This record gives sequence, C-alpha cells and structure tokens, in this order.
Amino acid sequence: MGDKVKKRAVLSVLFVIAVFLIGGFWFNLWGKVSPVRQLPLIDADSELLKTDTWRKSYADLVREKGDIDVFDCYTCHDKDKKQELKYDKDNQLVVPEEHSDVVMGHGTHGRNNNCYNCHNDENLTQLQPRDGRPLKFDQSTQLCGSCHGPTLRDWESGSHGRTSGHWDHKIEDNKPNFVKKDCVNCHDPHKPKFPKRKPAPPPNHLRENPQPSVQSDTEN
Amino acid sequence: MDSRSTTNSAEPLALSRRSFLRSSALFGAGAVALAASLKPLLSLKDGPSMEQFLQKYYKELTPEEMQKVLERISREVEKEYGKRPHLRDLKPMDGVDFAYFLNLSRCVGCRKCVHACVKENNQSRSPEIQYIRVLKMPHGTFDVEKSEHNYNPDLVPEKGYFYMPVQCQQCKNPPCVKVCPVHATWQEPDGITVIDYDWCIGCRYCMAACPYGARHFNFTKPGIPADRLNTEMSYLGNRPRKKGVTEKCHFCVQRTRDGLYPACVEVCPAGARKFGNVLDHESEVYKILTTKRVFIQLKEELGTNPRFFYYFDV
Amino acid sequence: MITAIRNYLTFLWRCAKIAFVGDWRYYAWMGLLTTICLIGINAYCKQFVNGLIVTGMGDEVSWGVYISNFTFLVGVAAAAVMLVIPVYIYRNEELHDLVIFGELLAVAAILMCLGFVTVDLGRPDRFWHLIPGIGQLNFPASLLSWDVVVLNGYLLLNLHICGYLLYSRYHNRKPSKWFYIPFVFIAIVWAVSIHTVTAFLYVGLGGRPFWNSSIVGPRFLASAFTAGPALIILALQVIRKVTLYQISDKALLTLRSIVQVSMIINVFLLLNELFKEFYTHSAHAASARYLFLGLHGHHALVPWIWTAITFNVVAMVLLALPVSRSLKWLNLTCVLAIVGIWIEKGMGMVIPGFTPTTLGEMIEYQPSSNETLVCLGIWSFGLLCYTIFLRMAVPILQGRLSYANEGGKPLPDSLTGPNH
Repeated sequence: MGDKVKKRAVLSVLFVIAVFLIGGFWFNLWGKVSPVRQLPLIDADSELLKTDTWRKSYADLVREKGDIDVFDCYTCHDKDKKQELKYDKDNQLVVPEEHSDVVMGHGTHGRNNNCYNCHNDENLTQLQPRDGRPLKFDQSTQLCGSCHGPTLRDWESGSHGRTSGHWDHKIEDNKPNFVKKDCVNCHDPHKPKFPKRKPAPPPNHLRENPQPSVQSDTEN
Repeated sequence: MDSRSTTNSAEPLALSRRSFLRSSALFGAGAVALAASLKPLLSLKDGPSMEQFLQKYYKELTPEEMQKVLERISREVEKEYGKRPHLRDLKPMDGVDFAYFLNLSRCVGCRKCVHACVKENNQSRSPEIQYIRVLKMPHGTFDVEKSEHNYNPDLVPEKGYFYMPVQCQQCKNPPCVKVCPVHATWQEPDGITVIDYDWCIGCRYCMAACPYGARHFNFTKPGIPADRLNTEMSYLGNRPRKKGVTEKCHFCVQRTRDGLYPACVEVCPAGARKFGNVLDHESEVYKILTTKRVFIQLKEELGTNPRFFYYFDV
Repeated sequence: MITAIRNYLTFLWRCAKIAFVGDWRYYAWMGLLTTICLIGINAYCKQFVNGLIVTGMGDEVSWGVYISNFTFLVGVAAAAVMLVIPVYIYRNEELHDLVIFGELLAVAAILMCLGFVTVDLGRPDRFWHLIPGIGQLNFPASLLSWDVVVLNGYLLLNLHICGYLLYSRYHNRKPSKWFYIPFVFIAIVWAVSIHTVTAFLYVGLGGRPFWNSSIVGPRFLASAFTAGPALIILALQVIRKVTLYQISDKALLTLRSIVQVSMIINVFLLLNELFKEFYTHSAHAASARYLFLGLHGHHALVPWIWTAITFNVVAMVLLALPVSRSLKWLNLTCVLAIVGIWIEKGMGMVIPGFTPTTLGEMIEYQPSSNETLVCLGIWSFGLLCYTIFLRMAVPILQGRLSYANEGGKPLPDSLTGPNH
C-alpha cells in the first residue's frame, strides 16, 4: 500500500469526521447543559424574615395604640380588697382562669411562684422590686434587673438583648435613633426562658448530591 | 509513482491541483468545523458591554466617571429586574473602625440571620449563595471538623450543642486581599473588606486563601426573583452581581455607612449579634471589648486578626 | 533592514507551510489532535456562556482539574532545563543537539498552562486587569501575579532561544554567543523559579494546612524533574522514529539517570510528608487522612493516590535496576512515572487542600464531562503545538529547510522517503 493511498484514506476519514463534528456542534448532539436546579424560596411573609420581637412591651402597645385592657387591673379587681393567692398541695401556684393566658415558669422548682414577688399587692397597676420602690409597667426592665443584676448591667452596656436602628447612636432632635428592646420583648415575664423555635432550612450546595458532612463520627 | 516523484517531479502542477483541491476541501471543512464549534456563543446574552469592559479600577474613578458607572448599573438592573434601584457609592465615615461581636451563649441556631442577609444583599437564590453559615458544634470543642452544617430539627437550640455562625471575619490582616492578583478586593479605612465586582477576574485564589469559607463564587448567572430585589443598593455592596465574580459579606455596607445596623444584627431574635464602631466609647462593641472577660477570634493562630469576635456572658 | 524583515517573513511562511505537509501518519495524528481541540473549544464555549457551573467545582472545592493540570504542566515546562544544565554547565555533548527539543516542549507546556489558567477564570474577558501598568497587577504581594510575570517571561525566553537558534541554523550561520548563552543561563534559574512560584501559590495559604508546608516547593521540583525528562525520553524516541533524526541511546540513558535521581528524591520527600502527617495525628492532618485513608466515610481519592504511589515506587525500583537500560523497560518506567506524578500533583495536591473545607465539611469533587473535554482539548492543543514546532525544527536542524533552498526548489514533503 503506497503512502499516497494511505494519505488519501486518512484525509477522507478526517473529512468525514469534520462533517460529523459540524453536525454535532450545530445540533448540540452531546454535552447539553442542564438548567440550574430551582430551589424553593422562603415565603416572603415568613416569620423568618421578620425583624419584630415576638412579644410587645407595654410601651410598644401604648405607642401603637394596641390593646392595653389587660393592664387595667381595676376593671375587674377590687381596689380595697387584697387579691389572695391560691396554691395547690405541691405548693404550685394555681393560676385563676381569668388569667389562664399566664403560664408560670419563672425559676425552677417553683422558686418564684409568688405573684407579689413582682406585682404590687396594694396597687396592681404597679410593679414592685425588692427595695419597694413602685415601678410602672413600662419600667419593667428595672424590676427584672433588681434580681438579675449582671444581666441588667449587660443590657445597659449593650452586650445583652436586642438593639435596633442605628449603630451610630447620635441623638437627633433629642430622640435616640436606636431602640434598645426591653426584657419583656423577648422574655415572657411569667415564663422567661427563651422559647425554642423551628430553624430556617439548612443550606443547599451547588450540586444535587454533594455528600454533605457526617455529624458525630466514631472514627477519630 | 513513488513518493519521491512529488519531490523531483518535472510536472508538479497536474498532481498538485488535485491534491490542492483535496486539501482545500479538508481545510474548508476544518474551518467550518471550527466556526461550528463556537455555536454556543450565539446564545450568550449577558456578555460585557464595551463600557463595562473598559471600566477603570474603582480607586481610579473620578466622581464623574463613578456617576456614569452608577448610571450604567442602574440601567442594567432596571432592564433585568424591572425596578429602578437607588444606587449609591457610599464612602467610609471618618473615625470609624467597625467591630462585630457574637454572643455564643445566646445564639440559638435559628438561621434567621442567614435569610435576612440573603434578602438584604440580593444574593442568588438558585443557585444558592449565603454569606452566613451556622455551625452546630458539640459541647467542649471549637474544632470545626466536628461541626454540623445541615441540622434541621423541629426545635432549636438542641441540648448538648452550641451554635456558631461564621461569615466574613473582616480580618485586619486579610489573606484574601494579599492574594488577589488584580487588587479586586481590599480593605477600606472603616475596616470592611470589599470587592469591586466589575474588576474581579474570577480566579478564585481568594476563596482558596480564606480560612473561614467566607467567599462565594457566582458559578452561573445569579437567580434573584425580581419581586425580592432590594433596591437600596451600593456599588461595593449589594448591587446584583454577574456570573464569574466572587462575593462575600461586607457588613451591609449600604446600611452601615448610613449608620444603620447590618441586617443580621437587626433580625437576630436572641440579641446575639453586636455591631458598632469600636473607637466610640459609648458603643456596645467597645463596652463588650473592655468589660467581657472571655472572647475569642476564630482560627486566630493563622494571624488573620479578625474584627469578628465570639464572646460569652462572662 | 527591509531585506532582513523580508527574509524573516519568508522563513516564517515556509515554516508555516511545512506544518501542513507530511505523510499519512502525520495527517492522522494532526487530524486526531485537531478533532479533540475542536471538541474542547466547543465545550469551553458552553462554559463561557453558562459559567463555571458546567464544571464539577463549587464554593467548597473551588479549584479542580484545570489548576491540577496547570500545576503539572508548569513542572514539565520547568523540566526542559534538565536538558540545558548537563549541556551548558557540564558540557555533555550527547545532549547538545537535543536541548532545543526540550525547550520547544517547554514552550508547548507553557502555552498549555496559559490555556488552563484562562479556562479556569470566571471572567476571562477581564484578563487585561492583569497587565502591569494597564491593569492593577498586585505584585509582589500576590503569588498569582508572580506567576503571570514568570510564566510569560519564561515563554518569551524560550521562544527567543529556540527562534534564534533555529533561524541561525536556517541561514547556516553560527549563532552569536551573546544572543543566546546568557539567556540560556537565565532560563536555568528562571525555570526553577516558575515552579517554585507555583509551589508558593499553595504554600502561602495558612488557611489550608495541607498546603501550608515547606515541603511543597521541593516536592514540586523533584517531581517535575522526574516527569519532565521522562516525557522528553518518550518524545525523543518518537522523533527518532518518525524523522530519522540522529538521537543516540547514550543521550536517552543520560536523561534516564536524571529521572532516576529525581524519582528517588521524590519518593523520599513523600515519606517525609507521610511521617509528618501521620505521626503527629493533629487536626491539621485531616486532609492527608482524607487523601491516603479516607475520612468520615469519604474515600474517593484513596485508590488514586495509592495507584500513584505504587507507580512511583515501581518506577523508582525499575530505574535503580539495570533492566531499565533497555528501552522497552525504560519506556514503561517513564509512563509509570509520568502517570504517577500527574495523579500526585493534580488530584493528590489540589483536591485534598479543599477537603475537608475550612469549616469542616466533607464535599467531594468530581470533574464534569464538559470540564474533561476542555482539558483534553487543551492537552491536544499543546501536543498540536509541539508537533508543529518539531515539524518545523527538525528539517531546519537537518539542513533540509534552509535559506539555501529558498525560492524555486520545491519543499520536501515526505519524511520517510529513502533520500533522507
């Protein structure tokens, strides 16, 4: 077989390959790019995106002209008669059904189950810390701080609790442009432990099945 | 006819015409194949405009040139998403050095910060880019190898674990700035490490260099739903990125340079996140820095010196 | 002046013409390479349009086969100097005529390196940002900026040396020492520097403990000086067979002794690495554990690395034995060494640096088919370039393509005809 014949054969094969390539490229016969995996979006008005605190303080309600009826104690209570507290045989406070929305849980082993530890038994529209000075409902933070001293210290310096608005605490028009949330914005005063919640969904990697991390492994 | 005849032939033309036609046919087929191989380029929709291709480096732009650039970007965003953005080039404030403190005694692992950040900063939803990654750590260790990223229980926090969110630590000695070959990322005077998305060449060296996994790459065109676009934008911050560039947490530069808290601080339900100007003695961060006994920097032995600290209640 | 330019252009034109002329094996080889190149170009166009999502890379493993191949090929380019040193410093005459083949390989390798880096960029249209003076090259802080400077410098250096020597040969003129000897000596130092700079790219990153080790630089050089000359041994035998250019067995055996010593050093350095990682048992050894033993149930790289180590050790043993003096065994040894080092430097270096991630996740990487096609395309392009360079260089060196037979006499197009 002469070199020329072989050369012609090779060139013919290459010509065929070139035509095949032209077809393959033009009609995209291989290597189609799959579309990007569309991930579900978080609901636009989901709780996860809201910056509001889960509770409103008395001051918030007043400002927003919300329902403050529950703070008007003497619509039901008698001004002259002291409201007695009832306890069951395990020394647990029995919450009257008129206040059934109050769930007690301030301190373990029922340590803090006397309403009058915080509420003023002589004037139900006031709060009373240990030193006896009367506090209004919008000063509840001072009440919490009368027992939780270190936390109050941290709250005042800003390392505990939520602040909102401007980090740049310049006072504009005599109004501070940042808001420090009160204790009751995050803590139910009767059951203060910060409630557990459902977390937002975990992260999604770029590819469908990237073999994510294994948690507690016994190898090492 | 042996092969030598082509070398010494007295009549080269007769043979060479045929072989010339043969070879030009093959050559032509080859050229067409080359052109056909470029066919995918026909569907290129978001190629760079000449204006963007020639755009100068951020630090060399005059205010007028910057205005033109902002105008171009606003036009592009409006065309793409149907909303006109409020796009500014915010400069750092004087006398400001940001610091961020995160209270590990308080973080509950709810991941609200992750999604607030995504919403504020126009991050791609598909494929997903999230600047903040919350690590679920077992008690007794800071070894991230023992962490869990994909936890999804019914309720958090879970007993026996603590939660450590990680984002760009805005290091004082940033390895990403050191390695970027084109100065596309640098540290601003107020401490934020920023990226010029129009200058980045997408080499991803910064991603290899970052010890915190804080930098994220747009492997394709980011997918932001038009109705979720945050139109309050800044050039170095949350304006929509294009494919092929890196992005990362920038302390919500469009908010913080206006004096506002970053979105993650604003949303954290547990109040675990603290942000401010550490040079201001009245700020939370200064008070934490000077009063708290225990706070740490992640991976500090690498010498990155982050501005991001993790602290505890004591 | 005009004549000089005209002469040079004629020379270039003749060189270009001869690249399209050859026997059936030449056309088959070039046709195959061109086909793969075109498929690679098509695959890259898809990547250019859709972004790097068509590769297997992600945020966690942000460098993959492109940078692996880049690392390996910088080593091959640096190893061209392994021919230069014996000839110019130790005055080895056997290798004297072969230096140019090594340098042409270096040029082809550098072109491949530049190709791999370009396809890895997210925004290749912004390449001008890297040009010092026009862009903002972050020199000297960024090691990538050093890489840009030294790789392009090495390319120009080798192009000059080869071009000058070939052009002088074309004119049957003795090359002037001042135009190439200083450059050759610069090239020796420069070759070591290109691979050291590439090693430092990895070493400087404190956040990646697998790479942040001083052994990376020496290992790179040792493996480069093994794989490079091994490639040259194979390439020279191909040249000898196809072009009947005179290459003595003694030259091949000199190269064999270079590969021998370099492979021993490479394996010794591997043992050093294994001790350091596994004796201490610190958390920083996680990546090494992933690579050699598997970690947290992930062990995709384990078979690869142990294959590579086996190949390297077998190659080292064969090289130490006199049996590898026979070309058949030598060729097998070279293939084992090249494949072993390609795996070690590519998957064995780049991927474990990212696994586990800096935040402890185990995300494994697998190149996509598109990525693989682009890699094959660039390798074919490099081989295409090297074949063309040789197709031009060998006739010039043999005296068949020279100024003397310019104009009038037809070019010889067959290389296997009996008159050679």
